[in-house]
Amino acid sequence: MTTVDVATPDGTTSGAGSTTSRKRSGLDRMSVEWVKLELMRVAYATRGGFLARRDPRAVLGWYVLCALAPWFTYSTPILVALFVLALGCALAARIGPLLLGLFTLGLVGQAAYVLVLVLVLGGDTTALDGLLQISLKLGAVSLASMAAFVSLDPEKLSDGLQAMRAPAVLGFAISYGYRMVPLLIDEFHDIVDGHRLRGAPHRGHGFLGWRTIARIGRIAVQAFYPLFLNTAQRTRTTVEAMETRGFTSAGPSTAGRRLRLAHLRWSVGDTLLVVATAATIAAVYTFLPTS
Amino acid sequence: MPGRDGAPAVEVRDLTFRYPGASQDSLRGVDLTIEAGDFVAVVGGNGSGKTTLCKTFNGLVPHFWDGDISGRVKVAGRSTARRTVGEIAHDVGYVFQDFGNQLVRPTVLDDVAFGPLNFGLEDWEARTDAALRALEIDDVAGTHTWQLSGGQQHLTALAGALALAPSILVVDEPAAEVDPRRAAQVYEHLTRLNSQGVTVVVIEHHAELIARYARSVVLMDAGRVRWHLPVEEALARTADLADAHIPAPQVVALAQGLVPDVAAGRRRPPLTVEACAALLREAGRSEQPGAALLRTPDHPGDDGSPAPDAPRARNARSDVVARLDDVRYGYRTISGGKHTVLDGFDLTLRADERIALVGSNGAGKSTLLSLLSGLAVPETGTVEVDGRDTRSVSAAELSSQVCYLLQRPEEMFLTDSVRSDVAMHPVGRQVPDAEALVDQVLDRTRLTHLADRDGRLLSGGQQRRATLAVGLAMRPGLLLLDEPTSSLDLRSRDDVIEMLAALAEHIRCTVVATHDMHLVAEWADRVVVLDQGRVVADTDPATLFDSPDVLRRARLVPPQVTQVGHALGMNPLPLSVDEMSRRLAPLPTEELV
Repeated sequence: MTTVDVATPDGTTSGAGSTTSRKRSGLDRMSVEWVKLELMRVAYATRGGFLARRDPRAVLGWYVLCALAPWFTYSTPILVALFVLALGCALAARIGPLLLGLFTLGLVGQAAYVLVLVLVLGGDTTALDGLLQISLKLGAVSLASMAAFVSLDPEKLSDGLQAMRAPAVLGFAISYGYRMVPLLIDEFHDIVDGHRLRGAPHRGHGFLGWRTIARIGRIAVQAFYPLFLNTAQRTRTTVEAMETRGFTSAGPSTAGRRLRLAHLRWSVGDTLLVVATAATIAAVYTFLPTS
Repeated sequence: MPGRDGAPAVEVRDLTFRYPGASQDSLRGVDLTIEAGDFVAVVGGNGSGKTTLCKTFNGLVPHFWDGDISGRVKVAGRSTARRTVGEIAHDVGYVFQDFGNQLVRPTVLDDVAFGPLNFGLEDWEARTDAALRALEIDDVAGTHTWQLSGGQQHLTALAGALALAPSILVVDEPAAEVDPRRAAQVYEHLTRLNSQGVTVVVIEHHAELIARYARSVVLMDAGRVRWHLPVEEALARTADLADAHIPAPQVVALAQGLVPDVAAGRRRPPLTVEACAALLREAGRSEQPGAALLRTPDHPGDDGSPAPDAPRARNARSDVVARLDDVRYGYRTISGGKHTVLDGFDLTLRADERIALVGSNGAGKSTLLSLLSGLAVPETGTVEVDGRDTRSVSAAELSSQVCYLLQRPEEMFLTDSVRSDVAMHPVGRQVPDAEALVDQVLDRTRLTHLADRDGRLLSGGQQRRATLAVGLAMRPGLLLLDEPTSSLDLRSRDDVIEMLAALAEHIRCTVVATHDMHLVAEWADRVVVLDQGRVVADTDPATLFDSPDVLRRARLVPPQVTQVGHALGMNPLPLSVDEMSRRLAPLPTEELV
């Protein structure tokens, strides 16, 4: 199948591991496989967690509350509290090391470059406060999103959306999209490998590694041409098959919808989840200083 | 489940159809009646209209493909013209050739339940269960479809169609991408469904499968039904079949070559190995003394000695091309565990060897190829190619010595024309005279006239030739191919085998991972049989086909000609129809000298 060092020059190793430049450890390959498996674990909610057991409608309700809550205040203490709560939920939902790592990197990276910008342009400490606020808001919303979507496998998500009267096509698109992810990752890999093996060889890193960056960028862009065409070819069969299996553009029949959603059960725990979340948010707003 | 009032399952009258935007009719005045309960094989060359015809049965033509149509199609006594594809789906189940993309839901259970749920059938659970159990895939019901093997995916697609309890089942190329054992498995399931009253229609290239399972054969030619005959009669018309690129089953070809009555059409040709062996015995055909010397001159073992290990002995002195020494390799699974594919694995590849790597799915064939290509490096142990440890060179550097051609050709097409794909490596490495090399390679693979087209738009056989051209232009010492003949019709397959043989002089050593025993018999001189990450046999094809234990363990089915040879007690076993015919024919006296 593939190696991994999409992001690293041939011959040397990726961040995952070894040190000498002329020795390949095999870790490079393992790490990409790891990223792929991690994505699939996230997508299919294999880790469990407190939200995974709940009815998808309750999870979506929980998510709406958590995602809206930070936007109605400019109070740093309230935002800190919401952020901490969201972080707690995300960990309890077992979002896994990959998402958490990416999230931290994104948040810290963004804060750092805005900080540099502010200082260079002669901002003062009020700017820092604003910066902290927006980071906390975005962070809280991102954590809640991750917690919700890690806990909903595509089937639950699309069932939940359908139960809330979203169009059937939307629900289908979500679960089909998830289904295609592993195929696309594999194929993308094979294609990138093809470029590495058959394309012009690597000629050193250049100043600050610009050659390497340019090469990775070029390969990533070029890989999309075959990827899109191959995917387009696949979908021809898919569309015909869906027609023969009763999923027309209008979606399945109403009876079909009822049967598909028959397994959804709203339990006391679901009510409790939504009520407790709403109460916690209300409490945070009530008891913490609002400015 | 017969049609209403004993109506035929499918009745097509004077049907003409043209795809929107096409310049020619795909179907031209088709008349066809398929009786309820029949097992029909539809055969014909590429573009003969087989698939289009079958898509008229379930209404995809004309309801989905909205072209110019005249004539009528009745399914189970009712015209398809005024019913929707969804309604017809209750009568006709359809499994596409490209079955992997027919699966649209994440798990097997979801996918099989998809149809019944969409139609709002109250008993969807019972139907899903029944379909899963009928095909014996209930144990993988909770598995994600992308984790399944090709054979299991195919059965899942079939179960998805069965869940609607259709009275007619259309399966486009059931055997295209699976090993022979699994193909037989799918056909056994179809046969059982057929015996329960389901009318089965398959599109099939493999005459051997048709002979074994079908009851009647429809030959399509240029959009028309040329004939629809019971299977024995149909297979006796070898000339018509050869026109449609369906070579006769080897047993038929043998009988026609060796039994004058069959050749003259006075006797029906045999359809099974047993019948063929009995017929040859009856005709007094047995091996002449000394005839084993007349094996194909360019074939291994041609040094006159029938000793099974002759090719290996001959090669023992030759240069080592690659060596695996005590290799261990595994990968992580989604559940977090680790799956070890190879452990303590040793293998040496030498110059001038044509190696076939065989074994059931998951035996470690692809892993071995990616280790040899340097794309993967072993956890422990060493892989050496051309005397260099693959750990010490990058896969990109190694690509000048080793070329790995992937199983799915479209993944090898990275640019928008065959020519630039072939040129990619030599131009990128600034090989002198790259242009001339590319022209020469395109010429040798007979692709010059297609060089400016996108590889994806070529036919299956042309795609394989194009990937071979890509490999050749890299001028590797070691060529690795993963399933170069899968999902090809037999003519394209023979083409690829012939081309591989012709390329031998340009490549020091070729390794092919394959399920295709014809490729093994006709091309390889060394077969390495893998089972669960171990080498269970390392020998030549004739010896392999004479080792029932190994065959069973690795789920291999020898070619028919070899099986007939076995039944007649020939030693060594014949590997091709030509060879067997020569050995069983009365010997011309001058050749005995």
